[in-house]
Amino acid sequence: MSEQQFLWAILAMAGVMMLFRIVPLLFCKKKIKNQFIQSFLAYVPCAVLTSMLVPEAFNSTANFWSAIGGVIVAAVLAYFERSLIEVAISSAVAVFIIEKIMNMVNFI
Amino acid sequence: MENTAKLANQSGFMKGLKDGLPIGLGYFPIALACGIMAAKVGIPFKFAELLSLLIYSGSGQVAAQNLYAGMESSILMYALTIFVMNCRYILFSVSIAQKFDKSMGVLQRIIFGFFNTDEIYVVAMKQQGELGAPYLFGIAVCPYLGFLIGNTAGVIFTNFLPKSIISALGIMIYAMFIALIIPPAKHSKPVAIVTLIALCMSFLMECIPAIKSNLGPGITIIICAVVTATIGAIVFPVKQEADVDEGGTVNE
Repeated sequence: MSEQQFLWAILAMAGVMMLFRIVPLLFCKKKIKNQFIQSFLAYVPCAVLTSMLVPEAFNSTANFWSAIGGVIVAAVLAYFERSLIEVAISSAVAVFIIEKIMNMVNFI
Repeated sequence: MENTAKLANQSGFMKGLKDGLPIGLGYFPIALACGIMAAKVGIPFKFAELLSLLIYSGSGQVAAQNLYAGMESSILMYALTIFVMNCRYILFSVSIAQKFDKSMGVLQRIIFGFFNTDEIYVVAMKQQGELGAPYLFGIAVCPYLGFLIGNTAGVIFTNFLPKSIISALGIMIYAMFIALIIPPAKHSKPVAIVTLIALCMSFLMECIPAIKSNLGPGITIIICAVVTATIGAIVFPVKQEADVDEGGTVNE
């Protein structure tokens, strides 16, 4: 792909993104009264986040086991309602430690 | 009167800035990983920067970089991939627009639309009452900066970071998702059940090879989210939005 073509590809992607992110905001000015739609929209955030979490989270690190460890640490801290950044950093530290330990075990 | 309005605007902006800070810090390592990938697949620096400026989405950027690495030459294919990955923003936009107050005019909506992300959406939806432009602009600042700086740092420092650090950074965005999902589920049984259904369904779709190979990850996310939210709306209709939103102490 030439530089020129890739530039057009980037612009096309940006255009599509804005279409999806901006246009619905402009055309949705009335409050929705319908109970079904209201309920549906209330459940969208947890449904979308959960769908994005599984299975990608388990492929996000160098190996499956460190990812499992990271997810467990995150889940426990999240259950006790720690802040976003605390959960994220603890989880990354857990992954780092698990991988270090696994490397050491492999050496022995 | 003017002074109190100005004060309210300032405090709204500051509150947004504060709520956006952890998101921005969370984006930094993810963007770092994106930048590292861009350098690895051989995207020239100026295009890597343009990508991170315009394609404000970690997953979108990774998808674009994968296409580039696979020598994809059809511009339509790039556009289609982003199309599928961004469908969920129709749902986000419709639901968040319900909470906008009068300060959200056309220009404000356009600006916020560009800077909106999954995490900003979730955190903003947790706020009590209506959302104004000062708060929404405030919350958008740190995430965008974190994304941009992380990306640039990734492209520049690719060769200096050890593999073990890069691997550990990979989990952070998902840890953040978990921190957003679990507390509301803990406080509301319907939310917990809907979350569980989404979890099982997403897992099943990954396990069925026919689905996995024929549909991209963007489409499976949409199907899974729409089906589970529909089940939730049918089985546990919400009287008022507050029923589901309460109990969010995610961002303190």
